[in-house]
Amino acid sequence: MTAQTFAQARSLIGRWYSIPLLILVWQLTVASGLVESRLLPSPGRVWTALATEVGNGTLIYHASVTVSRALAGFLLAAFVGIPFAAAMGRSVLVRNLFEPIFFIGYPIPKIALFPVFTYIFGIGTPSKIAFTFLECLYPIVVTCYFGFRGVQTRLIWSAQNCGASRSVILRRVILPATMPSIFSGLRVALPVAIIVVVITEMIGDSIGLGYYITIWSTRFTFANVYAAIIVIGICGLALDQALLLLRHSAIYWQREEA
Amino acid sequence: MRINSASIQNWILPVAALAAWEILGRAGLLPRYLSTPSAILAALWEIALTGELFVALAASLYRVSVGFALGTAAGIVVGLGAGILPGVRHFFDPLVSFLYSIPKVTFLPIFLLLFGLGHASKIAIIAFSGFFPVFVASRHAVLSVDKLLLWAARNMGAPSRTIFFRVVIPAAAPQLFGGIRIGLAHAFVVLFAAELIGSKVGLGTIISYGEEWVRFDLMFAGIVCFAVLGFLSDRMLLAIRSRLLKGQMIGTEEEIVR
Repeated sequence: MTAQTFAQARSLIGRWYSIPLLILVWQLTVASGLVESRLLPSPGRVWTALATEVGNGTLIYHASVTVSRALAGFLLAAFVGIPFAAAMGRSVLVRNLFEPIFFIGYPIPKIALFPVFTYIFGIGTPSKIAFTFLECLYPIVVTCYFGFRGVQTRLIWSAQNCGASRSVILRRVILPATMPSIFSGLRVALPVAIIVVVITEMIGDSIGLGYYITIWSTRFTFANVYAAIIVIGICGLALDQALLLLRHSAIYWQREEA
Repeated sequence: MRINSASIQNWILPVAALAAWEILGRAGLLPRYLSTPSAILAALWEIALTGELFVALAASLYRVSVGFALGTAAGIVVGLGAGILPGVRHFFDPLVSFLYSIPKVTFLPIFLLLFGLGHASKIAIIAFSGFFPVFVASRHAVLSVDKLLLWAARNMGAPSRTIFFRVVIPAAAPQLFGGIRIGLAHAFVVLFAAELIGSKVGLGTIISYGEEWVRFDLMFAGIVCFAVLGFLSDRMLLAIRSRLLKGQMIGTEEEIVR
């Protein structure tokens, strides 16, 4: 019994030792004075900044702004992109019309278009949501499109053979068969949404975590910058886990490791 | 390309959009910030004649290629190491899983202060953000190499060096390229943010200059260059990949999206 716990503890340490080690090295570097302490504040000071800024609600407010923008753009892209991908997958005309836009546009760095978006939608929330929508649309449409095209024809044939109507085939055959690709598209798009919102907030805004990072770095208070970075990481992790949970309940017949 | 109805349909939307843009712009029906395509081409020609374009292009290209090469090389070496040696894997896994969900651009203010406004800060942040997708892909690729292949090679008495170069690397290469492609896309996003937020020369600077001096044609010229650069580098990567992986990509989604 004790030997087992001992072995478990050892494997736990063996797997996770690098994070405490990194914090230790960080602390030692700061203490030795090798790096300007304003640029690299000690872990303790970052923790204090994190605790105060979360405690007084500032970081929570900015995080809620960033997350709600990211989610709005992401959900919009999902609601538009999935039916669109279905249309592209099932209709030759739609496919021929839109394939070049999505396949040639896919590798183009769309971030360069952001200045144009600020002119059309203004600097605030609408331009961020619209831009996040565009950035998320591409991975969602492209991934789901392959999912819809990859539905095995014999599944549809056998459903037709059993007398299923078109809507039943769509709901009971095509959608379940595409579910895995829909979720893998969503999983690619979700971090993209967060990255894009943070970047655009860094470029120009007065709320949101990206703004928070920019403003505190111009004030040379890097403890707050690191605190905000940690908050962004936690938000990203939480959203990804939520999506995995959703996937787990939606695709109960297929288990895939993360 | 053979001319048939499919390829005509492919061209309908892009050509119609460009034509409508030009015609509406000439008629004065579009807002002033949407310069017409012909004005954008004229602006491109203008900065090409003054040589401004090539200075900016050289700066951006230098940053993105050096940063991307450094990040990719580090990602491949460390990722392969983590895939093969459990010790390396246990050291890097917690760190990467913690940092992976954080958009790497958030470190931009810190990198700008550490490395200044010149090339070094952009190269460092591009390398930093390119490292993670490549690391994850190559680590995963090595771990998912078919065990039967390894056993077969070992059974035939191949030394571990031969196994590494002739079995592990070729089997892992397709996934590795997937990671490198994501890294390349990240590199351009980060480059844009870095050049827009803190830079004196580069394509991003042309864009922000055009914005500031209300030269929207110039802004669009910068955007077009940036998009073309990103697109061409992705194509180059795909060309290299199909050279190296002759036959391995047939029938996969990645072969079709290009």
